[in-house]
Amino acid sequence: MLRLVSSASKPSSAGVLAKVVVAPSSSRSSRRTFSSTTAKKADITLTVDGKEVTVPQGSALIQACEAAGATIPRFCYHDRLAIAGNCREGVMEFLLANHPLDCPICDQGGECDLQDQSMRYGADRTRFHEISGKRAVEDKDLGPLVKTSMNRCIQCTRCVRFANEVAGVEELGTTGRGNDMQIGTYVAKTMNSELSGNVVDLCPVGALTSKPYAFHARPWELKHTDSVDVLDAVGSNIRVDSRGLVVMRVQPRPNDDVNEEWISDKTRYAYDGLRFQRLTVPLVKQGDRFVTVSWEDALASVADGLVRSGAKGDEIKAIAGHLADTESLVALKDLLNRLGSDNTALDHVGGHAAPVHAVDVRSNYLFNSTIPGVEQADVILLVGTNPRHEAAVLNSRIRKSWLHTTLEVGLIGERVDTTYGYDYLGADAKALADFVAGKGEFAKKFKEAKRPLIIVGSSLVEHPDGAAIFNALAKFTEANKEKLITPEWNGFSVLQRAASRAAAYDIGFVPSKKASSTKPKFVYLLNADEVNPKDIPEDAFVVYQGHHGDLGAQLADVVLPGAAYTEKGMTWVNTEGRAQLGRAAVPPPGASREDWKIIRALSEIVGTPLPYDDILSLRDRMWEISPTLLRYDSLEPTSVDVALTGLKALAAGTANAKVTGEPIKKPIDNFYQTDPISRASVTMAQCTRAFVKGEDYGFSELSNASEAAFA
Amino acid sequence: MSLLRLCQQAVRQQTAARAACVATRNHATDSNIPQTTEQKQDAAITEAPQRDVVAADIVSGAPKELRHRVVRIFQPTRSTTQSGSGKSNRWRIDWDILPGAGRWENPLMGWASSADYMQGTRLSFRTKEDAIHFAEKQGWDYYVAATEIKRIPPKNYAENFLYKPDKLRLIRTK
Ligand code: SF4
Ligand code: FES
Repeated sequence: MLRLVSSASKPSSAGVLAKVVVAPSSSRSSRRTFSSTTAKKADITLTVDGKEVTVPQGSALIQACEAAGATIPRFCYHDRLAIAGNCREGVMEFLLANHPLDCPICDQGGECDLQDQSMRYGADRTRFHEISGKRAVEDKDLGPLVKTSMNRCIQCTRCVRFANEVAGVEELGTTGRGNDMQIGTYVAKTMNSELSGNVVDLCPVGALTSKPYAFHARPWELKHTDSVDVLDAVGSNIRVDSRGLVVMRVQPRPNDDVNEEWISDKTRYAYDGLRFQRLTVPLVKQGDRFVTVSWEDALASVADGLVRSGAKGDEIKAIAGHLADTESLVALKDLLNRLGSDNTALDHVGGHAAPVHAVDVRSNYLFNSTIPGVEQADVILLVGTNPRHEAAVLNSRIRKSWLHTTLEVGLIGERVDTTYGYDYLGADAKALADFVAGKGEFAKKFKEAKRPLIIVGSSLVEHPDGAAIFNALAKFTEANKEKLITPEWNGFSVLQRAASRAAAYDIGFVPSKKASSTKPKFVYLLNADEVNPKDIPEDAFVVYQGHHGDLGAQLADVVLPGAAYTEKGMTWVNTEGRAQLGRAAVPPPGASREDWKIIRALSEIVGTPLPYDDILSLRDRMWEISPTLLRYDSLEPTSVDVALTGLKALAAGTANAKVTGEPIKKPIDNFYQTDPISRASVTMAQCTRAFVKGEDYGFSELSNASEAAFA
Repeated sequence: MSLLRLCQQAVRQQTAARAACVATRNHATDSNIPQTTEQKQDAAITEAPQRDVVAADIVSGAPKELRHRVVRIFQPTRSTTQSGSGKSNRWRIDWDILPGAGRWENPLMGWASSADYMQGTRLSFRTKEDAIHFAEKQGWDYYVAATEIKRIPPKNYAENFLYKPDKLRLIRTK
């Protein structure tokens, strides 16, 4: 039986459809302001194929049938898009007759709805007898990610609806009517969206396929591994498809609590970065060049460097980066603590000191409203964040809510294109002060809101006015606690942008006050590629552990090769505080090893062995630190009292912060290159050229050639 | 049947020992709470009752090394490239890959070679309980992955034409 709803662990009761969750009530009521009848949410029971099902009023018949286990062949209907009703309109049937018979050279082959349905319901011989031949449509150029083969298009308009409703790209649309209808951008534009890769999945035929993956593999050759994305802090659920030793592609895994069914283009296409610039062997710097050594020698030279540098106590410093997994963070912190140091820092600007929001109370640094909760908010204030680049799939939720409800959005920070409209309040701490004082239209709307939400950007801890801004927000939230912090709703949400950040804060991977002012003599970089090289003293002994030869490895005296996220099954905590378990799809290349094992081995050599020998005992240790790290796929909401205590502490800790008035800058300039993996990716480099720099460098010669060439 | 019973008797001792070991080592059980040795001393937490499972691995001839590997019990999610939800009803068991030298590129042909005899194996079951039972019978450590979370609101065609009093927000290019 197919289920419309299933909860994490309960198998749904057989036979009767569990109640379909209705859209948030606020959205329903606002949608219906002008309808003459009141919206009743009655359930309707009907019998499909002799099976009784109950569905909420307003469901489509196709949903009811699906709930009853009778799958109806479909092309245009999609669970997450508006209903179009294209395929029953007739046009499409004629288009289907024109569909090219090129399955052997089509990338959709093997995962094509049309192929399956014609195998199942179609005739075994052709009835196509047009002398004039089949209809032909010129291919479009949608950019370096989406390859088009428009002869195959059956005009289901799923891609157009996706572009309109989810991605917010209004250029993609249909032109012409009937047999002459075409899908394309207006006029000959590329599809500039962080979510454009999803149209490849949506397209039920092979009209839109993946350009980087074109002709690389067939779906039946691939091994599927369910895992978690780490290129932003959303923790999108992904399926890593690999063949042999190579990751061939990354696909989304539906999860309505996190990423619905979408993933960002970085998540989907940066995988080719896993093949380039990899560190595969331990390296030791001799003079100005790196020499390949064995693991023993590498670890021995780290131990030796630790002794020679003379680092004691807090002079031993560890810096963790965006892609460090939770297990290795825990192991590294334990190792440092055993060596007598509290100097565990992070690699963002100002990461050498503890963040202004401190890490004692979880709700001070997590996305408390939860990602699905965003859709319940009726007014959202974005402070110093551009969710479109920091959490693309979260941004699509805000857009969804903005389209279907009366949601109002306000923005303090740099002006950006968010794919939804917003009230611009200003760029600096002063704008926030005005908002708090209740000045302006938006502040009034915020006051009247039933479920207001403040989304605070992670870049604010890096900003000189960060402390002052957090102070103002904490006080404001406390003052409006009857709306912002209730048992059902926590409207103070911090949006992290690095996959490892929430976990690092959870385990307390931040330096003590004394440690942060100590000049380090020994620096251990764990996946730290965003560090400022000037922050690392010239004479310090530097170890880099990670998987890519990026910035961090250049600074190192010893390089220890680790595993990337597709090569290890580790715990990741997303911005909501949701722990998720990744899974290894392919083994790490060359001599590289899982990161926690490297740290464990090193601890032996420096003479302070860590007390865990396998991953299970390491996870027991994590359980001791915080059980939430191991409660996979679930959330642990902070209670009202604790959240308020956290805000009080935050306000007290930042009480004498000065305002410099410096404008807030967006932290991500180039969405496509934010970490060592995406910086090593050729596809992401092409995207940067096409979408960020706006260069038309002719990635498709087809679009430039004259039409006559194909006649 | 009598042979089976004989085996059962012979290995009861062993099963009990292993069951205890499983209890301490499951790193993500169904309830996602790892049971550390420390907790076991806590009287407030009752231990899961030991079920009488036939230790099938004694007679199956499966290599002993399999018991050192954790298996994953999960329900595959629907593929996003297609509408059909086929195969996503069953439960599967498969193995984590062997880290290190479990796979390599064969120098002769460039294909992938593997020393992991479980890399191509996956087992399908009708229910989660069946899968768990099987894993327990084989003496495998396992963890159960959460199932897909799906919330599809009711939809209808008329929604396309709903009147909205405020400013136009959705521009349709269909
Ligand atoms: S390109 Fe694909 S998704 Fe778009 S209308 Fe054509 S068949 Fe549908
Ligand atoms: S799926 Fe119903 S009309 Fe297309």
